[in-house]
Amino acid sequence: MELNLTMIKTKRFSYKWLSIYSASLMAIILSLCSVSLAFANDEPSPEIPANKIKLFLTSPERDVGYTVGDILTRKIRLEVQKPYCLIPTTLPIAGYERRYKNQVTGIEVRKISHSEESNASSHTYTINIEYQVFTTGPTAKPVALPAEVIKFQGAKKDDIVQYTIPSFRFRVSPLAVFGAVKIEYDMSTFNPPLLLQTYPEKQKLVACLTTLALSLIGLLYILGSRAWMPLMGRPFANAARTLKKLKTNEDGVRQGISRIHQALNTTAKTSVFNDSTDLFCRENPKFKPLENELKRFFEMSHAVFFDTQHQSSNHEKNMLWLRTFCRQCRDCERGLIPNLKSTEALKK
Amino acid sequence: MSDHQLADWRNHAQTLETAINKVVVGQESPIRLITTAIFSRGHVLLEGDVGVGKTTLLRAFTRCIGGGYQRIEGTIDLMPNDLVYHTYLGEDGKPHVSPGPLLMSGENLSVFFFNEINRARPQVHSLLLRVMAERTLSAFNKEHHFPHMLVFADRNQVEKEETFEIPSAARDRFMMEIPIVVPDDDAIMESLAFDTKFHNVDALVETLPENVLQFDKLNAFSNVIQSSVEASPTLRHYALNLWRATKTPTAYGVKVSGVDMNRLVLSGASPRGMSMMLRAARVNAWLNNRESVLPEDIHTVFHSTVAHRLVFSPVYEMRRTEIARELLTGIVNAVAAP
Repeated sequence: MELNLTMIKTKRFSYKWLSIYSASLMAIILSLCSVSLAFANDEPSPEIPANKIKLFLTSPERDVGYTVGDILTRKIRLEVQKPYCLIPTTLPIAGYERRYKNQVTGIEVRKISHSEESNASSHTYTINIEYQVFTTGPTAKPVALPAEVIKFQGAKKDDIVQYTIPSFRFRVSPLAVFGAVKIEYDMSTFNPPLLLQTYPEKQKLVACLTTLALSLIGLLYILGSRAWMPLMGRPFANAARTLKKLKTNEDGVRQGISRIHQALNTTAKTSVFNDSTDLFCRENPKFKPLENELKRFFEMSHAVFFDTQHQSSNHEKNMLWLRTFCRQCRDCERGLIPNLKSTEALKK
Repeated sequence: MSDHQLADWRNHAQTLETAINKVVVGQESPIRLITTAIFSRGHVLLEGDVGVGKTTLLRAFTRCIGGGYQRIEGTIDLMPNDLVYHTYLGEDGKPHVSPGPLLMSGENLSVFFFNEINRARPQVHSLLLRVMAERTLSAFNKEHHFPHMLVFADRNQVEKEETFEIPSAARDRFMMEIPIVVPDDDAIMESLAFDTKFHNVDALVETLPENVLQFDKLNAFSNVIQSSVEASPTLRHYALNLWRATKTPTAYGVKVSGVDMNRLVLSGASPRGMSMMLRAARVNAWLNNRESVLPEDIHTVFHSTVAHRLVFSPVYEMRRTEIARELLTGIVNAVAAP
């Protein structure tokens, strides 16, 4: 009876341990399977036929002068003939640190992005990889952006091929710590000169020079009595243009005389009257040839504006004379000799 | 009739000017202005230094105008009643009252000459103020009229002792304040100093013809001038702008050196002042043989008819003459016509 009881206990015990053991074994087998799947990508595959792939690679322009923290970018463009297509899981992973002889290389993938374009016969993959330098040393140190192995899936499930992006070798310069580096021991002729980035400064300089040039042009415009050309926009030139547009009637003649009065006042910088034409000609000698014409202009002005009894009705002749006189004034304003014969002819 | 009358009187006026220019040399502009005032029926205040010929000039005009002429000297103890009457003890030993200078010529008084007006007290100015404005005076229970009277006064700006500033109300009664300055011309200065005919003023004035103008017809003729000479709308607009500029010169961009323009003018020209200016401008146009007033006519009389009417801040009163001259020149230069 006791033996039976012992056997039953032993059986119960053995069933319990058997179930635990079998569960553990299953877990180990499953984990081994997953590991083996995970590492399936790392297994070397045959190289893709050379005629099936084209590489367009853009590496950093210089291979020296990098220090810890610098970022290097590679642009890889792969044109792969169908039926091959990229296995995205074989692309490098951001944050992955590569090791060489169990030592970290100090070059880390910082960021990766890729895009795909397809046509009837091929796929084109554009892969941008940013590497960041995390290594330095007391002297310039040769390092490399690693050769990346990228795999492609063929037509069949087990037709997996690979392609190796060549590595890019460059030098990492040491960070100079005050007192740690003696410049006389670091005069290698192989070191290129350290070039500053002048583009932002150039942009600022161009912007400042443009602003300065515009300001000077604006200033010249203001100082030039708001005229773009030296002889443009002067009082009599403006008045002559206005007079051309006026109608040949009483109102037009009145407006024309007012406009010439304005031009005279602007030129003299004071109000000019009949009793101050001599002073005007003395202070503006360019108008001296028109002294008699000025007197006649004021006579006309008086007749039109102030003489209530003797109003002239020959508006056409008056307007013609005013336009001619204004052009003569414009010539004087420009330093030219006016053609006095034109107004002499109109007197007849 | 009117045209003939205008021409005839213009000849008289030119005769008057020519005669006086022979006696008072180098003062063509003041003589023209006084002639203008006579035909505008406006009172005249002459201002200038001592001995520049103010009194001689006024006496000369007085002789040529004709009519009653009275004169009084401004003194610190002069009282208003001294202008109206004076008392004395007669040969009979009894007190007598005689008419004073204002009443002595009655209605024929044509010129009342007040010498050194700024020496008289404000009470005298007050009496004169009424006489000038209304040409009437109440005395001896009677209203006396002086329809032909013109007041000629003078003052010198040099002396300030025992003088009283003429109030702006009294100044406004004068049509013109005319500055008299010594002429700059060497020949004239030499003549004034060495020519013996200028040494005796009484004899000099005696050489002038009497009654060149008929004093009792001047009022009527003045009305003829005012109605005959036209002022166009453009000229009226110009005159109004000038008036506005005397009130707010800053609005017209007028500046006077060394003066805060925002504080300078307390009061611009008065309506009476502007009407007098236009009267004088019309007379000037007539004297220049024109039938319409031009801006130049206004310019001729602008300073003399407006400068003394402007009321400045007290801080600028001491420099009144030079500031007024610069201000009004600035106004003429700033206001355009048309």
